[in-house]
Amino acid sequence: MSITINIWINEERYEKLQKAGLANMAQEVLAGLKVIKVPVTEEQKDKILKVFPTAKYDSATTKSIELLPREVKDKIFDMVIEKQSLEIMDEFLKSY
Amino acid sequence: MNYIGHGGKEIVERIMPREQAVEAIKGLTEVTIRGQIAREVIDIAYGFFTPLEGFMTRADVEGVCNEMKLANGVLWPIPIVFDISDEEIKEKNIKEGDKLLLKYQDKPMAILEVEEIFTYDKKEMAKKVYGTDEEKHPGVARTYNYKDKFIGGKVTLVNEPVMNPPFDQFFFTPKQLRQKFAEKGWQRIVAHQTRNVPHTGHEWLMKGAWLSAHGELPVEKTVTGILVNAIIGEKRKGDYIDEAIVLCHDVLRKAGYFREDVHMTSIALWDMRYAGPKEAVFHAILRTNLGLTHHMFGRDHAGVGTYYDPYDAHRIFDRIPEGALNIKPVRVLEWWYCPVCGEVTYSGLCGHKDKAQGFSGTLIRSIIQDGVKPPRLIFRPEVFDLIMECAEKYGFGSPFVTDRYLKERQDIFTLPDLK
Ligand SMILES: [Zn+2]
Repeated sequence: MSITINIWINEERYEKLQKAGLANMAQEVLAGLKVIKVPVTEEQKDKILKVFPTAKYDSATTKSIELLPREVKDKIFDMVIEKQSLEIMDEFLKSY
Repeated sequence: MNYIGHGGKEIVERIMPREQAVEAIKGLTEVTIRGQIAREVIDIAYGFFTPLEGFMTRADVEGVCNEMKLANGVLWPIPIVFDISDEEIKEKNIKEGDKLLLKYQDKPMAILEVEEIFTYDKKEMAKKVYGTDEEKHPGVARTYNYKDKFIGGKVTLVNEPVMNPPFDQFFFTPKQLRQKFAEKGWQRIVAHQTRNVPHTGHEWLMKGAWLSAHGELPVEKTVTGILVNAIIGEKRKGDYIDEAIVLCHDVLRKAGYFREDVHMTSIALWDMRYAGPKEAVFHAILRTNLGLTHHMFGRDHAGVGTYYDPYDAHRIFDRIPEGALNIKPVRVLEWWYCPVCGEVTYSGLCGHKDKAQGFSGTLIRSIIQDGVKPPRLIFRPEVFDLIMECAEKYGFGSPFVTDRYLKERQDIFTLPDLK
């Protein structure tokens, strides 16, 4: 299983996805939650955990990086919309 | 009524009547204590730590580290010590045989009888208790932060703490809890240890543990109960605030997810050591003293990082000699959401492992932090609403611990004036 950052989709984010024609990027999990899963490499994971000390890597249950600050997730989300792609972490992390 | 606690020892409250206390503290050397020690003073005085009557002597610490036993042979996994600096001992001329007045919140709190002043190799203590000497481990860090010397000796509370709302509804001494259980007619009670706001994974863990504990007993009357016992101690940034933890557990019953007669919420004052299997044994001892008969242990109980295997805290109970512990562990796997079953289900029963979706407390926190309300099958709406209410009322706008909460939150308890 690869590592991901889960970006949970509220109405506001869903609207943005729809406007960009990317609504099908969102998967449905956990009985009705929408999420987009941004893939992260092992090295990117280590860098993220270093740069954002509140973030946690859940290695046991979900293999995902959780608890990134809301602003950071907003930025990642905005970049996904802008690039129309989930493969953005390389570029995203350049500025950190 | 006499109640028997851990080690077959009677629960004894070490509390001095007020009039006597006012006299007894006159002229004693004063030592100001920090939160952890104050909480442990309360635990000792009310019998939460039975058979401990005070802070450990060197022989106790040695026994605990090397053999997981007190000097009197009773099973005990984690040192409970009173640390003090060399300077303070010198400056106040503290000697064995003295009595000290422990002060907290600038009020007299307890008398500590100085039976022994000793040193202990902290690295060795850490290694024996936690299985590592890495400072990254929060229990090890706590051990290294102890000052140079330790004082072993009995503790007597001279000033009973008054719990502040909302904790006053949830604080029960071991004696009070046992009276509660008798009133409810509970013969078996299973502990749910928590430091979390409950999602339905927790709810089902409790329900599964209840079924397990209830076993062959008759069903016409409720004779088995669930006690949620929330650990209240030092907080770290990003944790749920204490108020949200206790109130949200309680709302599961109030909103009917548990019947009124099977579920009860309570707190215990304790600073987590994250000692994994050793802490599991400690939790079992603590809950024995509360009068519980069963203790649920899930995945990675009281663990941290990758220091312990997720089921070390289950297996340690296989190594405890018969009769050393008077509470039964209920060992459980995780519950997960299965889209095929269409429900939250037990991973030990559901055969759709490839499709199952696990969820953790961390995941739920992350969802909430993103401003999303989780589905009711995963997280109860009453709990979600209450979290938001607690954020406003107690958390300065956040359900998670912030710097401001750490600085300005209301104390769990207040010591009154002693006059
Ligand atoms: Zn299934």
